[in-house]
Amino acid sequence: MKRKILSVLVATAMVTTLLAGCGAKTEEAAAPVEEAAVEEAAPVEEAAVEEAAPAEAAATEGEVGLIYLVSKGFQHQFWQAVYQGAQEEAAELGVEIKMEGPATESDIADQVQMLNNAVNQKPSAIGLAALDTEACLDGITAAMNAGIPIIGFDSGVANAPEGAIFASASTDNYAAGVLAAEETYKLIEAKLAAGTKIGVLSQDATGESVLNRGFGFIDKMKELIEAKGLKVSVEGHAKFENKVDGADVVIQVAVPASVTAELMVVDAQNMLNDDSFIAIYGSNQGTAEALVTADENMDKVGPDGIVGVGFDAGTVIKEAVRSGKLAGAITQDPLNMGRKTVELAVKAAKGEAVEDVDTGCQWYTADNMDDENIAPNLYD
Amino acid sequence: MEKEQKVSWKNNSIVKAVGTQRLVAILALLVLILFFSIASASFRQYTTFVSILDASYYIGFMAIGICFAIITGGIDLSIGTVLVCSSLISGTLFVRSGFPMGICLLIGVAIGILFGLVNGLMISKMGLPPFVATLGSMMVSKAIGSIFTSAQSVTWPQANQPGGWFRSIFKINITSASGSQILIPTGFLLLILCAVIMSIVLNKTRTGRYILALGSNKEATRLSGVNVDKYQTIAFVFSGMFAGIAGLAYGAIYSTLLPGAGSGFEMDAIASVVIGGTSMAGGVGTIFGTIIGVYIMAVLKTGLPFIGLMNYWQQFFTGIVLIFAVFVDVFNKRKKN
Repeated sequence: MKRKILSVLVATAMVTTLLAGCGAKTEEAAAPVEEAAVEEAAPVEEAAVEEAAPAEAAATEGEVGLIYLVSKGFQHQFWQAVYQGAQEEAAELGVEIKMEGPATESDIADQVQMLNNAVNQKPSAIGLAALDTEACLDGITAAMNAGIPIIGFDSGVANAPEGAIFASASTDNYAAGVLAAEETYKLIEAKLAAGTKIGVLSQDATGESVLNRGFGFIDKMKELIEAKGLKVSVEGHAKFENKVDGADVVIQVAVPASVTAELMVVDAQNMLNDDSFIAIYGSNQGTAEALVTADENMDKVGPDGIVGVGFDAGTVIKEAVRSGKLAGAITQDPLNMGRKTVELAVKAAKGEAVEDVDTGCQWYTADNMDDENIAPNLYD
Repeated sequence: MEKEQKVSWKNNSIVKAVGTQRLVAILALLVLILFFSIASASFRQYTTFVSILDASYYIGFMAIGICFAIITGGIDLSIGTVLVCSSLISGTLFVRSGFPMGICLLIGVAIGILFGLVNGLMISKMGLPPFVATLGSMMVSKAIGSIFTSAQSVTWPQANQPGGWFRSIFKINITSASGSQILIPTGFLLLILCAVIMSIVLNKTRTGRYILALGSNKEATRLSGVNVDKYQTIAFVFSGMFAGIAGLAYGAIYSTLLPGAGSGFEMDAIASVVIGGTSMAGGVGTIFGTIIGVYIMAVLKTGLPFIGLMNYWQQFFTGIVLIFAVFVDVFNKRKKN
């Protein structure tokens, strides 16, 4: 008898909590938002179809409420700088922002969940740096149908459905890769010969930013080397591969099985152990740091040895560039990226026209890293 | 009469002293090293040897700790995330709050001990199954690490930066005047020292013997008048403490700790322990075997790329080795019975 009463009580408690939770959601969603279009969209729950939604968004005037940013994670300090820029712009424009990201850049499922949560909170606009566009499609469609504009940032949302992404504030990652190749080429031109190899460490083969930095580097490097009359083969990972038989120079790509420091260090060590490598490029903070860590024991990277090229900043990379171990690195403009994302999001929420913004990248070395237009981007 | 003479090698004194399981493990390690050395000239270099050692420290310390937990018949799933949590918190205190490095090192180990204590109490006093209790603390420690650092990563100082002296506990790289490097893997010495101390604790002290006994038969040990709650808790405190030490090792080698990482590390440690001859059922285990297991895994991890296999093959072969090691153990037990 006691047990039966207990189970009935527990069941009642569960059901009550469930109902309370559902009720609270719609209340919470409606409360912070003052914008007319979003209020009209509020009673609509998840993926409801509302063809008039984009038009409603355009017809708004007045306050913009919450801007919700879903990033690829917070792990690297890069994202902290983006958040700082976003907060500065939000303070200036007088809007509220929230920024969330999954625990690691491998946690695609977690990011999808965050995007869905974001859509459910009915913000005025969403900023998204997708780990994997296909996985986010449901959330993107839901946002479209609810009339919530999406602004891409950093990787943006590659291959998104037509009209889903209003604009993007990102580094042109392909151009960044090209810049890295050009600068690296200057340093290795004299050493190029038959049998030499160039390494590319890529954190993953799914994120747009890392992929494009890889493609940009590989394409440009291949072009420059072929102009010298040498044959180039690209090997190592199916995504980047372009095998050519009898090639003089091989561009070797390594992608770890999952995004962990230990695996990336092993990849880098593997390259460093092969004497035919003349340059190694790490296309993001994680891989560049792995290159520096891997070289600690071997001391092969440096001005007299293998040319090391990195990306982004952080204390490890900055120290390595300053000491000359890494010949240089590409820095993005994360502060500007955060600011532009919020600026575009607010404009889109108000229904104004928005366009893509290239937040730019620069090559920094020990000589110019303290210049006033480069130093602020080199976060710790 | 024939039976007595049949399996003569098993009566060999060396084999008896070391134990068949451990002998197989040592042989496996030697075979692996030999194989990779022959297959690849670059594997034979000193720098490769140091790199293998570097990669082994954090797993090695975790494995020593969790060996105690497994010997009690339990498991500790939280060591990976406790490693990250303790290293994140102590690293953040150094980098962002300006605490002195020495204090931060102690705090890192203390956080590990704290989680170990909580695990131990949950399992012994509250009677939670170890799997469930440590699964819960795994999730909690993962979250606490992120919450404390506001989900930011932490980079421990490099060797030449203030506070960087802590790295010399695990590795010392001296650049000589001629430009060449002298590499001293001090972490290996520390690992062996800890292994020797904990082996003495396990085999020669009352604490260790009670832990082995309660793993073998908890009820009988309790009825003999031993406070099994206390000793089970101690085993998990060891587990947590070494996870804290492993966190410092990880910070010294890899510099950057990322919040949200860590789950998966414990699997490497558990695999090492099992390959080394410790039984998941409890009551049997050696620290020496655990260390051999750690190095089998470390050699595989670092060696496979030398023969041209991408590192996802490392997981594949580790799995095969693990299954084989457990099979040898089960086979031996069956033969005994």
